[in-house]
Amino acid sequence: MAEKAISRPGVKRVIGVDLDFGALRTAGPRYWAFVSLLVTVIGLGVMAWGTLLTHGGSVMAMRDSYPWGLWFTNYMYYVGLSAGGLVVYASVHLFNAKQFAPLSRLAVLQAGVLVMMALLGIITDMERPWRAVWMLLTPNFNSPFIYTGSAANIYMIICFVDLWILITGKGGHKLAHRMTLIALPFAVYLHTTTAFVLSLNKSRELWNSAVMVPIFLTSATASGVALLLICAYVMQRIGAMKFKPSMFRSLSTLLATVIIIDLFLLAVEILTVFWPTSAKPGHALRLAEFFTGEYAIAFLPVLVLGLGAFALLAGRSTRHLPAVQITASLMYVVAIFLKRYSLMAMGFAVDPLGQYSAPYLPSLVEVLIALGLLAVGLLIMTLSAKVLPLRVPEEDSAESDQVVLASHAPEQALEVG
Amino acid sequence: MSEDSTRSAGQAPLDLPEGCTLSRRTFLGGVGATAGLVLAGAVPALVSSAQATEGGVPGNESLSGVLEEDGAVNYPGKTVHYAEPPGDEKWAMVIDVKACIGCRRCVYACVKENNIGRNSGFTYIQVLEMDKGKVDVEHASLAYEQGGDPDKWYMPVQCMQCAKPPCVYGCPVTATWRDPDGIVVIDYEKCIACRNCIVTCPYGARHFNWVEPEVAEAEINPDVPLHEKAGVIEKCTFCIHRTREGGTTACTEACPVGARKFGDLNDPDSEVSILLKTRRVWRLKEEYGTEPMIWYVG
Repeated sequence: MAEKAISRPGVKRVIGVDLDFGALRTAGPRYWAFVSLLVTVIGLGVMAWGTLLTHGGSVMAMRDSYPWGLWFTNYMYYVGLSAGGLVVYASVHLFNAKQFAPLSRLAVLQAGVLVMMALLGIITDMERPWRAVWMLLTPNFNSPFIYTGSAANIYMIICFVDLWILITGKGGHKLAHRMTLIALPFAVYLHTTTAFVLSLNKSRELWNSAVMVPIFLTSATASGVALLLICAYVMQRIGAMKFKPSMFRSLSTLLATVIIIDLFLLAVEILTVFWPTSAKPGHALRLAEFFTGEYAIAFLPVLVLGLGAFALLAGRSTRHLPAVQITASLMYVVAIFLKRYSLMAMGFAVDPLGQYSAPYLPSLVEVLIALGLLAVGLLIMTLSAKVLPLRVPEEDSAESDQVVLASHAPEQALEVG
Repeated sequence: MSEDSTRSAGQAPLDLPEGCTLSRRTFLGGVGATAGLVLAGAVPALVSSAQATEGGVPGNESLSGVLEEDGAVNYPGKTVHYAEPPGDEKWAMVIDVKACIGCRRCVYACVKENNIGRNSGFTYIQVLEMDKGKVDVEHASLAYEQGGDPDKWYMPVQCMQCAKPPCVYGCPVTATWRDPDGIVVIDYEKCIACRNCIVTCPYGARHFNWVEPEVAEAEINPDVPLHEKAGVIEKCTFCIHRTREGGTTACTEACPVGARKFGDLNDPDSEVSILLKTRRVWRLKEEYGTEPMIWYVG
């Protein structure tokens, strides 16, 4: 594979990965227009961050009543999106899901880039980012931040190492398989600890529920699978990768399954909060804001979009259509963002002393920083689509390794276990 | 026999419904409880005279349950740099909500004393105005115009200096801890501004300086940091710079009706010790298990 690639012009080998810079040279004007748009957005984001560092936190819309804002919504959201990709990749190895094998490199790249965006979000929110070193020097192990922060960092490293292993084929399929056994539990761990940041607070009734953890996991998987589906379509459209229609069908079946579990858990939580024999005033009062308060415009769409996406994917006659699959995926990706936002914001809307604050809407600075980070992620994906060898070669040794690996996955899992 | 005695005792008007009369069982129960209370008072008194030095503070044994909650949490071994080192005290406050008229003088005194930025948009003390009949924090008002409404009652809330402080447990970098005298302090040089303590505090006691705090030159209190507080969390410190030098808190001093009592629980003769031993006191959100060091009495 390497020899074949090296013969093409413009290919440079960096730590065993063939970077195809030649593809950039042949890229069309639309590609470069998109890249320069992303660079402009990143520039605006950097300017916004500079404003924040020089003027202090008051340029953001967060206040004591909303101590966390868009950055935390995005942290939960990106970390969640990254999970889905990894679940798909891991199912290739653990559950012999051969149909997802062509996705593996894209899924791992997407997972790593998303967690990187989540972590950058934290850094850009701190007023004195250099103080973060105290997290390493004097950590307090009672704080869920320690666990979610370290998990996100390690997870990001695992993803990129994994991508490198997949591309170079170093260590063979055995190492790739073992990496899955590390990466998948870590993905679950990361989402559990992220949910714990919210749920381990007796001071905030709305979040203080154990069902938050499974809801985080299912929301994460559903939105991540949906994003991967969209991403795969885009990659196919621009000619970077190629997939079989059956792969999309499997992906959307998985998506529909996780969506319905996600909605079920949400329904269970809502029922528990409002049922007369279990309703606690503080909790019911806060959750009621979801339906009747000012947050209804952010939360009711979650239910509508969620049920709508499931209905689209459940229809036997239409679910194989790409347009339907993409629409449903987009609906759920948007639904999960609204869910994260309303969940975070509503937890703050009524403070521990019962004081209601008007809904939190991010300020321009916050939006620009968030868009800048999004552009960073998109830029990495855009460049990777051309430069990185994301396509899993069909008849290549790497692919046959994967197929062999996939077919022997259960036995290997037993051996390793 | 006792049936007769109840009837003769309750001879007079008797418009009461059936359930309201004093039955034999409740009457006997009442006697038992009274005797129990007397005994409970007497036995510890005897014990205390016998072994005064063993366990707890002499004369304060009935408060041993509260005193046992003491113990520094996450204490790094050095005290905050702007105050005297902690002594043997265990600071506590009792607020009489029956006396409080909601005038907010404690709030204003606190703002001046503690260099709270006049532009910061928060105060350490928040006075809740509540409807009579229940302790319903969920429907309390913070933004009432002026106090003294006879149809309402008032409850000042500030940092409770909890013995089991969720904020300290939640700080990822150990930038906040509980000093041995029970005051929860913050290291302004270390706070990473993650604001997790605002989230974990059930009393809304922690505040973040979203702006550089501004105080007029003439009004700056030199004993309290000011510029260090930009971009970090701050909260009530029981006026650590005063109380550790023998003074009392600014809010206690400012209260026009004497509703606040501040003192040392390790001193059996302090006002707070006596109040806790003689009055029926309660704490806000006791069910959260945070063991606050501010008690209310009504």
